[in-house]
Amino acid sequence: MHPIYTFDKSMELIRRAMNVIPAGIYGHLGPAEGCHIPIDAYPKYCDRAKGSYFWDVDGNRFIDYMCAYGPNILGYNDPDVDEAAARQREKGDCTTAPSPVMIDFADLMVDTVKSADWAFFAKNGNDVTSLAVMTARAHTRRKKIVFFKGYYHGVSPWTQKIDYAGIMPEDVMHNIYVDWNDADALREVFENNRGQIAAVIGQPYMHGNFADNILPAQAFWQTVRKLCDENGTILIVDDVRAGFRLDLAGSDHYFGFEADLICFCKAIANGYNVSALCGKDFLKTTVSGLSYTGSYWMSAVPFAAGIACIEKMKRIDSPRILIEKGEKLKTGLIETATKHGLDIHVSGVPSLFYLRLADDPSLMLHQRWISECVRRGVYFTNHHNHFINAALSDEDIRETIEIADEAFTAIGK
Amino acid sequence: MRQTDARTMSFINLFAVLGALPSLCELSDEAREIIAGKTISLGIEVKGGPAGVLHFDNGRITVTEGCGKCDIKLPFKNPEKFNGMIDGTVTPIPSKGFTKIGFLLGPFIKLTDLLSKYLRPGKEDLKDEQFYRTSTLLMFHVITGAVSQIGNEDKVGKASASYIVDGNVRMAITENGEVLTAAHIAAKDHHLTTVHTDTDAPMSLMEFEGVHNARGLFDGVASSFTLICDGKLRMGGMISQLDNINRILDRVGLYLA
Repeated sequence: MHPIYTFDKSMELIRRAMNVIPAGIYGHLGPAEGCHIPIDAYPKYCDRAKGSYFWDVDGNRFIDYMCAYGPNILGYNDPDVDEAAARQREKGDCTTAPSPVMIDFADLMVDTVKSADWAFFAKNGNDVTSLAVMTARAHTRRKKIVFFKGYYHGVSPWTQKIDYAGIMPEDVMHNIYVDWNDADALREVFENNRGQIAAVIGQPYMHGNFADNILPAQAFWQTVRKLCDENGTILIVDDVRAGFRLDLAGSDHYFGFEADLICFCKAIANGYNVSALCGKDFLKTTVSGLSYTGSYWMSAVPFAAGIACIEKMKRIDSPRILIEKGEKLKTGLIETATKHGLDIHVSGVPSLFYLRLADDPSLMLHQRWISECVRRGVYFTNHHNHFINAALSDEDIRETIEIADEAFTAIGK
Repeated sequence: MRQTDARTMSFINLFAVLGALPSLCELSDEAREIIAGKTISLGIEVKGGPAGVLHFDNGRITVTEGCGKCDIKLPFKNPEKFNGMIDGTVTPIPSKGFTKIGFLLGPFIKLTDLLSKYLRPGKEDLKDEQFYRTSTLLMFHVITGAVSQIGNEDKVGKASASYIVDGNVRMAITENGEVLTAAHIAAKDHHLTTVHTDTDAPMSLMEFEGVHNARGLFDGVASSFTLICDGKLRMGGMISQLDNINRILDRVGLYLA
């Protein structure tokens, strides 16, 4: 039996933070958006991390299936990536003229990502999804953007909805929403907005929150590609979340089509802060002409880290091993849940799996189970897809299933 | 978006503000006494807006949608006129029930004045703990009632409702594990209906611990994040429902300010 963790220091710190930081921890890592239910079952602050683990400020160790919500792909503090970053840091990072390592990184991205002819670097996923939409509008001189319902493309006003705080109707007036996998609806949208649609933007598959993740239907992406081509519309793939966990050549390659623009962040440099927009040659002049930059976007350390990360991912064939590890975990969780008479759904690609106990549609049972896992040292979330990293060992998976088993017993009492 | 519209306001006024009269009678002896022994129905019909009947039955009130059979009928040419009656700037003229106008000018006005006293209390009134408690519980029912009207009628509210999956959103004020009051918002095909009773089949839940914490949130002086961290605001179940209900709650403040 695993001990039950407590989080006294974490709770003390977040109360202190609340005085000087809005919401204490804002955004996806915070207890509200992060769905810490109940609040006292989750750690709030990390002390240190290594490989597939992090230790919180109360000294509890977690097998981490959120991986900082994606960036940790090789394992926290990967020695090869950290060494490359340290070497570059000695030479310089944020400097008046960029380092040539930027070109090396762009070359590597172009060699790695099938649909890429160039790479433009920034910091966060939102920077490059916004750049992709600006590029599409600049190139087509059109306004409208088509989204698939359940999407997440960042936090800029154009990505939000009319009812969100701080958003004006004008921010989202050119957004059109269609159901995921509904090619007929998309066709109708094109017919009703002839010559007006700048871009279709989509994640490679539907990995929205609070619901089973949905892979693309047979030939769906190929139909989207065809409709975009027929209508002179730019096809943008937001690979920020899934990128490098399905296919190093891009998730569009994994699903058998080519994007015009593809956005990367998260796993690109194993936690070093860099994002990239890659695109087809015909859009390079357009991007060159945009007014778009940032103080830290050409910092050299993350570029060096990105190169080391991608080279290592290639060396170890990381998508294959992540999918295999995810598959092993999936099988174990399903067997364990079944033993307890529970129906667990594991959806999405196994390297990026989403969990749901289907016995209770309100998700309250699921939330209880997840919280019991977290209290015992397996960091799952109850609302979001999870992430596998390459440092996750068979022993970690075995321990995870053992803890899942104990958590099922706890919620059955 | 700060824009509100008179039509949505008229739905709120009828079904959330006047719709809180049944709760007022449950919470206040004074309210029950005002309509003790009275059995009468008051219909309200707003052209281009809502229609409903308030049924008074010896200290108890129920509200039904649609202006069918009633003893007194108040027609309004448009939502603005009805909203004017609620604000006290328009005097209604009944189209039916002139012989019962005494109820309208007497008990009904007394009752709505009492409702206003609880919903727009003075600082001194709130120093009385019992008044504070009744006022807060009543506000809770007005707010939960307004959520459905905004989700069904307001342009931005409808956008939020369009993302709400089917099922009951349970909202409650508790004290040391005891439920002081509860309501639930039943979502079906993105249409919202507020039911001013508890539910044993919630799809999601939002519980405020203690009237002071609840009131702090209603008045906008307490931080929901602080309350969540202190375990004074509990949420669970289908959080996507609550996310969207919270966006509508944001607009409740605009309409009821």
